[in-house]
Amino acid sequence: MKYVKNDTAVKLCPGKERKETMIHLENVSKVYPNGTEALKNISLDIENGDFVFVVGSSGAGKSTFLKLLIREEKASFGKIKVSGYDLMKIRRRKIPYLRRKMGIVFQDFRLIEKMSVYDNVAFAMRVIGTPERQIKKRVKEVLKLVGLSGKEKRRPNELSGGEQQRVSLARALVNKPEMIIADEPTGNIDPAMSFDIMKLLAEINESGTTVIVVTHEHDLVKEFGGRIITITDGEITKDENYPTKHRTKSIKKAEADAS
Amino acid sequence: MKLLYLLKEGFKNIWTNRMMSLASVIVLMSCLIITGAASLVSVNVSLLVSKIGDDNQITVYLDYELSDLESIKLGSKLSGVNNIDTYRFYSKDEAIKQYEKVLGNIYESMQGDGNPFGNAYKVRLKDLSKYKQTVEQISKIKGVSSVSDRSDIAGKLTKLNYFVTIVGSWVVLILAIVTLFIISNTIKMTMYTRRHEISIMKSVGATNSFIRVPFIIEAMVIGLTSGLLASTVICSVYMPIRNAAATEITGFIGDATYTVGEIMLPTYVIMSVIGMVIGLLGGYISITRYLKKEGGEIFGW
Repeated sequence: MKYVKNDTAVKLCPGKERKETMIHLENVSKVYPNGTEALKNISLDIENGDFVFVVGSSGAGKSTFLKLLIREEKASFGKIKVSGYDLMKIRRRKIPYLRRKMGIVFQDFRLIEKMSVYDNVAFAMRVIGTPERQIKKRVKEVLKLVGLSGKEKRRPNELSGGEQQRVSLARALVNKPEMIIADEPTGNIDPAMSFDIMKLLAEINESGTTVIVVTHEHDLVKEFGGRIITITDGEITKDENYPTKHRTKSIKKAEADAS
Repeated sequence: MKLLYLLKEGFKNIWTNRMMSLASVIVLMSCLIITGAASLVSVNVSLLVSKIGDDNQITVYLDYELSDLESIKLGSKLSGVNNIDTYRFYSKDEAIKQYEKVLGNIYESMQGDGNPFGNAYKVRLKDLSKYKQTVEQISKIKGVSSVSDRSDIAGKLTKLNYFVTIVGSWVVLILAIVTLFIISNTIKMTMYTRRHEISIMKSVGATNSFIRVPFIIEAMVIGLTSGLLASTVICSVYMPIRNAAATEITGFIGDATYTVGEIMLPTYVIMSVIGMVIGLLGGYISITRYLKKEGGEIFGW
């Protein structure tokens, strides 16, 4: 099935003109060395500032889709452009610079247990060589944004699952990425916390950051609404826009204006 | 700032993985001690051989019955031997005087007719390759009792030097490979224990060189520490071993080998550099191989 771009997704971002395509996939396929065809001839565009859910059952090809975006895997065929980088031609040494444009949130949080909350977040800035003074200021801001002010000195194992995912989100945000890519961000946390995390992602998107959430939790997705891309057996079978709920006032207003 | 952070991380790694670091230091140090000892034996034997080669003076002992006058006259016959550069009369009085201290009270009784030594000549040769022929020629002169001949020792030492150099080189080469393997394994294990961190580093956009540097610093510090400790061990045992060899075998060895003062600085410098280079290489090889892995692959090591 070929995807035809839907403009409503762009209109979800208030006050933002569509500037450029953040992600462009054209007839992309991925075949693993063992012969498994994980993605089949996928084409889609995600614009700067979009909020997109990618859903599908386990083994549908969602993870492969994500791995292609962060260039953990290279597509077998087709064209992929992410944030101006041609992922079919990108040199290995340029990949870190591509990833600096993204903030990645994992299902298992991937926090470093021996580090405090502060250091886990600061770590992402340190590894790209940011001066310590800037790190201090920015980490404070981001922890406040995700609602973890005052918990800087805690270790990940002293936090709940939801809080750990917030730390992970703070780490993804701290370098001011162009997009947030979240792989099953609510997979390991309870429903109430899941809802809070999704709300947080929606707020982040409101500030202009493109957000892509990969999940298999259809109920949560439908509860939130927005652009939902469904992958089944390696193909995009649906790309629809659902009414959005639980968004902040400005988004709702924008949606109202758009309609 | 960035470099300082990386340095700090490198040292922190050593402390975090202190048991593994300690194990690698011990193994690496042992290898370096054996390598250093083999090298020291080799250089000392070379020195010994070259000193014997340089010492082309031979002693020509004259018949005991020969009077002083006859002995001096014999000198003219020596001047007739082509390969002799210089010769000096070495009287029996001069010979016994060398043992004055050792003999103590009986020294006086060994003067004049009581002197057990005969007269001799100290002879220097022009061409060492004709050593054997010259010695034979001198031996034929009437009045010559015997000629000190070191050609046998020199030949044996040359063979020994060759053997030590060959064996030493192999030992050094094999141990260098072993140490390289050990250090690269240590770093590989360190990376394995930190694979989680490495995958996070990669996901937030750390460059491979940024990830690599702390591990290389860690490997180099382990190498340097091993080198310094191995040098300390070698220098501490070198003197007693050298002294023992000098007394047990021959006093000659003491003069023909390096003193601890002479070997100390080169040993420390060379061992530290070798340790660091092995650390650098071993670390670099293992890291570069594993940095090619991505995300899930890193966890699947």
